[in-house]
Amino acid sequence: MLKVENLTKTYPNGTQALKNVSFEVKAGEFLAVIGLSGSGKSTLLRCINRLIEPTSGKIYWNGQDTTAASNAGIRKIRRQIGMVFQQFNLVKRSSVFTNVMSGRLGYVNTLSSSLHIFSAEDRQRAMASLEQVGLANKAHVRADSLSGGQQQRVGIARALMQSPNLILADEPVASLDPVLAHSILKYLEQLNKERGITVICSLHFLDLVHRYATSAIALKDGELVFQGLPKQIDDAQFKAIYGQEAERVSAV
Amino acid sequence: MTTSEKSLIPSTNSSLSVFFSSILPGLGQFFLKKRERGLLIFLTSLVLAFLIYWSLDNQEVGKINIGGLTTSWLWLPFILFWAWNVVDVHVLRVHGRSTILPGLLFVAIIIYVIAWQVTGVRLNRLVERFDDARIVAANLLNPDMITISVRGEDKICAWSCMYSYIGDKLEGRPREGIIRPSDNLLRIIGSIKPLPAPEWQVNLGLAEPGSEVNTFVAGTMIETIAMGLMATLFSTILAIPVSFLAAHNIMSRFPGGTVIYYAMRGILNIVRAIDTIVWGLIVIVWVGLGSFAGVIALTIHSVAALGKLFSEEIEHIDAGPVEAVTATGANLIQTIRYAVVPQIVPSFLAYSLLRWDINMRSATVIGFVAGGGIGFFVVETTRMGGYQQYATALWVVAIVIVLVDYISSRWREAILNDQSPRDETNQRSVFNALRLAFYVILGVAVFAYCWNITEISIRSLLDPGKNFGQLILDFLNIDLTPAVVQVVVQQMLVTIFQAMLATTLGAFLALPVSFLAAKNLTGSNQLLGWLYYLARGVLNILRSIEALLYVVIFVFWVGIGPFAGMLALSITSFALIGKLFSEAIENIDAGPIEAVIATGANRLQMIVYAVLPQIVPPFISYLIYQWDINVRMATIIGFAGGGGIGLTLTTFFGSLQYHKAGTVVAVIVIVVALMDFASAKLRRALV
Repeated sequence: MLKVENLTKTYPNGTQALKNVSFEVKAGEFLAVIGLSGSGKSTLLRCINRLIEPTSGKIYWNGQDTTAASNAGIRKIRRQIGMVFQQFNLVKRSSVFTNVMSGRLGYVNTLSSSLHIFSAEDRQRAMASLEQVGLANKAHVRADSLSGGQQQRVGIARALMQSPNLILADEPVASLDPVLAHSILKYLEQLNKERGITVICSLHFLDLVHRYATSAIALKDGELVFQGLPKQIDDAQFKAIYGQEAERVSAV
Repeated sequence: MTTSEKSLIPSTNSSLSVFFSSILPGLGQFFLKKRERGLLIFLTSLVLAFLIYWSLDNQEVGKINIGGLTTSWLWLPFILFWAWNVVDVHVLRVHGRSTILPGLLFVAIIIYVIAWQVTGVRLNRLVERFDDARIVAANLLNPDMITISVRGEDKICAWSCMYSYIGDKLEGRPREGIIRPSDNLLRIIGSIKPLPAPEWQVNLGLAEPGSEVNTFVAGTMIETIAMGLMATLFSTILAIPVSFLAAHNIMSRFPGGTVIYYAMRGILNIVRAIDTIVWGLIVIVWVGLGSFAGVIALTIHSVAALGKLFSEEIEHIDAGPVEAVTATGANLIQTIRYAVVPQIVPSFLAYSLLRWDINMRSATVIGFVAGGGIGFFVVETTRMGGYQQYATALWVVAIVIVLVDYISSRWREAILNDQSPRDETNQRSVFNALRLAFYVILGVAVFAYCWNITEISIRSLLDPGKNFGQLILDFLNIDLTPAVVQVVVQQMLVTIFQAMLATTLGAFLALPVSFLAAKNLTGSNQLLGWLYYLARGVLNILRSIEALLYVVIFVFWVGIGPFAGMLALSITSFALIGKLFSEAIENIDAGPIEAVIATGANRLQMIVYAVLPQIVPPFISYLIYQWDINVRMATIIGFAGGGGIGLTLTTFFGSLQYHKAGTVVAVIVIVVALMDFASAKLRRALV
């Protein structure tokens, strides 16, 4: 479904965020991306939907080379790939409903959407998405009046509006209390298992990886240092990924 | 300075450094690794030396004769400053720290003596011409608002007359005469007159062709309000595209965008540095005298000010939602609509409302140069000595501006604290639709009316006056001959000193009042509570009237010149500083006060240790801010007889010497931009 080949990203200031990263994701997988802060996880996820332009390498989405796609082409690809962010990235002053609705923008006409006109079908879809994350009763309150966990669920509902085949989740639980982490990841797991949506999720805590992921890759200083099943990450692997001084801790 | 830092200073250099400073001020400090202090002392002494020399040469400031040698006695404090600088090095060397207060004292003596002289302060005039002032005061206190006609004879019915009239009527005592609004008040507000029916009424069949209908003729204040409204609307619309061009985060996405960004920022800063009133002088060459010129001048300055504020707002938006909406596959327009617009709309609206307030104030004085509005009315009436008529204008301006100030700040608060969702999908009821339709129709009607009375004419906009081409050419080719530059620089210095004295005087007056106008200090006591409202009221009313409108009074009292301008500026300074100071006092943290009282300190100790440290930095910061504002204001105060560079500018404009006027404008831009930059820097260092 997704194939990454020799992906390299060098920022204008000379930082090499990704070095020759190659891996493949099969449909229906829940892939965890692990590594220290600054190891290139966020850059990797953003290269997949080209929020960040890769320096070199190829990314194939269902056989189509995304790095060669035109502006219109990449927007067509983006709308099939939902994204969930560490800081939720909701428009705080807009209502929850409008935030969820903005997930549909890739499908609708520019003029009518600029006037905030959406079809009845899309409105129903938005309510259904909110129902899926248990927030239908909060549709018409402002986004910033919700708690962090609720905001992240709105973020998931927004991604669902895209009818995605893949969800990219960039540290979706890093800004939340550990107890809320499970609730958010359970929603992602549910979408993965029940709807067959592929999930690529960067995570900090290894026990979350063991609990939710079906496969894992690890980055260290922009290089791919591990690829396999979550349970294959033993102490030796762990030290290789996180450095000799790291200690295993768990999130609740 | 800590002991460890002190030990860093090599001891062999230290006695030498005293010697260094006695040769060149600041050099010793520089060697003691107090680079900034050294540089500052050096620059200060250079500036002081120049000022002493310049003021002696031009205005004979401090001139004395000692045995045939003519010099300025100001060299004495200068020598003392130099001596302090040497002592400072010594103390720094021995103790590691030293106070700058003596140095500041000598600097202040020199600067204030020069400022006093070049501003032409003549305190004796305040007393000698007190009788003149009394006449003005009597006229001001008895405005021409109400006319009473007794047996066919019309007289002005001022406050005391109105009071007794109303009293008599209420208690049923017989009272001769009929009262009505005076013609003067009707000129300001507006009156209903029979006029030939306008074309649109004839076309709609509402009136017979050629017949007369009762029409509301807008007064000068209505015209002023219309000017302020139109300028705010136009500048908000124009500032939006400008602000996107001046926002770094937007422009850096395009190739070559950074160049446009810097160019745009530069243009905005230059346009902003030129006061609305100065723009008025330029615009009248373009479209001629009238309200329309006023609207354009207000709009030009407003676009620059709003453009800067808007672009800073765009630069500070949260990038997260932009990323998220882009990731859904939205295109650029959709991303702006859903991720950028919701973030910037409230602050844009709030800034526009703030600008509306400022524009209304400027609109009251733009008539001094551009014609039209209440400013022009004031020029006309005071020229003929109609101080009672002028007083009415002041009262009306005060009422309108206090109201605008109140509405603007309440709306801004409501917008910025708004917690209700901006949800266009939820509330589509008939009532909301009707309400919206009503507002739209009302808005269009107000717009059309304002368009009409401000005489907006696209034709004259596209067809510049015959001198305008000359003006542009001359402005591109300004006169830099030494004689002209010398005159301009001299007047600019006078202007800066004028602004400084006004700030000082205003601050001295404001200091006691600001304590009365602070709610947290006056809340408990009933009498103080009343004084609070009185102080706030006086500050608000004085603040609502522009300095240019005050100049007229002082010109009559102390005569034309920088002194009158300085006094007018000190009134507005008093009002604004009083407001800012009292707010600073209201904002102090109660925690430290509680803590100091808990240690058993008395009231005075509490003030010294808990209150003063909290209010001194903001006070100094506001003083610098006020000086900055006053320099801007002082550049235009000359238009009404307040002296300084404004007088030079109008003289050059009036005699069509545009290349010299261009020099003045260039110097104003440089000085205002420098002051703006320096004051922002200083204030950031303070708070």
